[in-house]
Amino acid sequence: MAKRAQIIPPRADLKKKAVNLSKGFDMRLTPEVVRKLEEVVHKSRDTFTADIAEKLVTMRRLLTESRPEPERQRDLVAQIYDASLEIKGAGGTIGYDLLSQIGKSLNDFVTGLTALDARQQRAVGLHVDALYAVLANRITGRGGIIENAIVEAFGEARRKLRPEADEDGRAGDDDREA
Amino acid sequence: MPEKIDFSKVSFLIVDKSPPTARLIRDILHVLGVTAIRIADTVERARKMLRRDPVDVIITEHHLGEESGLALIEWVRTAPDSLDRMTPIIMLTANSEEDYVVRARDIGVTEFLAKPFNVEGLYRRLVAVIARPRAFVNADGYFGPDRRRRQVPYTGPDRRRSDD
Repeated sequence: MAKRAQIIPPRADLKKKAVNLSKGFDMRLTPEVVRKLEEVVHKSRDTFTADIAEKLVTMRRLLTESRPEPERQRDLVAQIYDASLEIKGAGGTIGYDLLSQIGKSLNDFVTGLTALDARQQRAVGLHVDALYAVLANRITGRGGIIENAIVEAFGEARRKLRPEADEDGRAGDDDREA
Repeated sequence: MPEKIDFSKVSFLIVDKSPPTARLIRDILHVLGVTAIRIADTVERARKMLRRDPVDVIITEHHLGEESGLALIEWVRTAPDSLDRMTPIIMLTANSEEDYVVRARDIGVTEFLAKPFNVEGLYRRLVAVIARPRAFVNADGYFGPDRRRRQVPYTGPDRRRSDD
């Protein structure tokens, strides 16, 4: 017979330790604190862009040196998956929303793959080129009409070259709550 | 008088394999006054740290290499050698599609925040886990925060089988 669920009351020790009426930060961020925190994020921008640039160099090298052996292909896809996921997560955090969008598009493209055929490899290469262009031209925010058209074109390429990926319903992710 | 949070009393473990991201979270926490911050880049290292000395809050990525952030949550919530099964855990991850959120919730995550993130979003999660602790549920196949976000009053009869 199924065990009846036991409800354990919220634990108050952390709240007791940190929440008070005199010292610390307001429960809702004040504009002053937001400014200070955003300054921290802004300062990290150079470190992030250098890291992303390094990842793009690595992806470009991996694509150039790619071999048809299954093990090498698996490794290639895994490394592209890792790099694109990090770019997706980092870009928008430091104000490069377009990097995140293209990073997500690349990540969606390789998710579930274990090898890349010639056409898929070209599509990955185009993603890397676009990421380079965004970084080199310091295109912050979501970009303009041309940039959005590029992101849409990548979506179209994914639907053509990876129809099964879109069936998984991987589109759309925002500030989700558990 | 409105309540405040003194973050200097709270200790954190950040688990992320991206050094710039881990450093950014650490720097944000420093500005908030946190002094006790540890960083791990794998689940194994995080487990080792937590076995030695538990922390007040864990912030973990999902994608961590061989073992995922879910393995860390599962270990914290259920392992006999976990020193504090009720530690608040915030999953801060670029794996933010719905299926990841559902899996994290069903394994016992406390809060979920998608990357790319902004400081307000992170702050809201910190306030939630520290100032608004949730009840825990211990049931068959689940130990973790109560997954019901809204409490809706029910006045009808209790029809669960165990009450027959």
